[in-house]
Amino acid sequence: MDELKEILRSVEIFDGLEAAEIEQVGLICKERRLHSGEIITSQGEAGNEFYIVTQGFVEVALGEGGVPSRVVINLGAGQIIGEMALLDQGPRSATVRAIDEPTIVQVLQRDDFERLCQGNYHIGYVVMRNIAADLSFKLRHRNLSER
Amino acid sequence: MAIYKVSFVIVGSNDPGAILNMSRAPVVGERVKLGGKTYQVVEVLNLIPPRGEFHYIHVTCKSVKAGESSDLPSN
Repeated sequence: MDELKEILRSVEIFDGLEAAEIEQVGLICKERRLHSGEIITSQGEAGNEFYIVTQGFVEVALGEGGVPSRVVINLGAGQIIGEMALLDQGPRSATVRAIDEPTIVQVLQRDDFERLCQGNYHIGYVVMRNIAADLSFKLRHRNLSER
Repeated sequence: MAIYKVSFVIVGSNDPGAILNMSRAPVVGERVKLGGKTYQVVEVLNLIPPRGEFHYIHVTCKSVKAGESSDLPSN
């Protein structure tokens, strides 16, 4: 648990949480180890969990008809995946697959996470603010990549 | 403990770039390995002001041709 707490402390969406709150988040995390090429989310499918990359890399690809055709970004340590489905409960916006060996993610179920936020509004406020900042950073990255 | 959230954009290629956390900011001229590929840093900018322990950096890179790669650790 100590190692997981250290990992979570280095993830931006948990920046501003107290040590005891980080520990609460750690209780709902489950580690998943992925091989290179393994799919994490598929565009268009329903999603009820989100992920934090703690080791390795994933690629985020867009396509049509469930077939990913264009990689739009690679995400490495500390980055979150699947947060859009967490926020709007819509289908997955992209297909995400591991591209490094191994790639390790922490998985959080939406229901567990919402229960945690409803039980502690400070966690909910801090994490939602930080998710908004993360989405803003990704938009800035995209704008700069199109210069 | 400072954490550097870095946006990497690759110029002159279709590579989509990357975002990852690092323990230090890259410097111009340095080679970085991202998802198995090696790139050379050509520009480093502070993207937005730091918040808490997090620093937000934008890095522009160019691809390194095959045979030019060094044995740098990935981040």
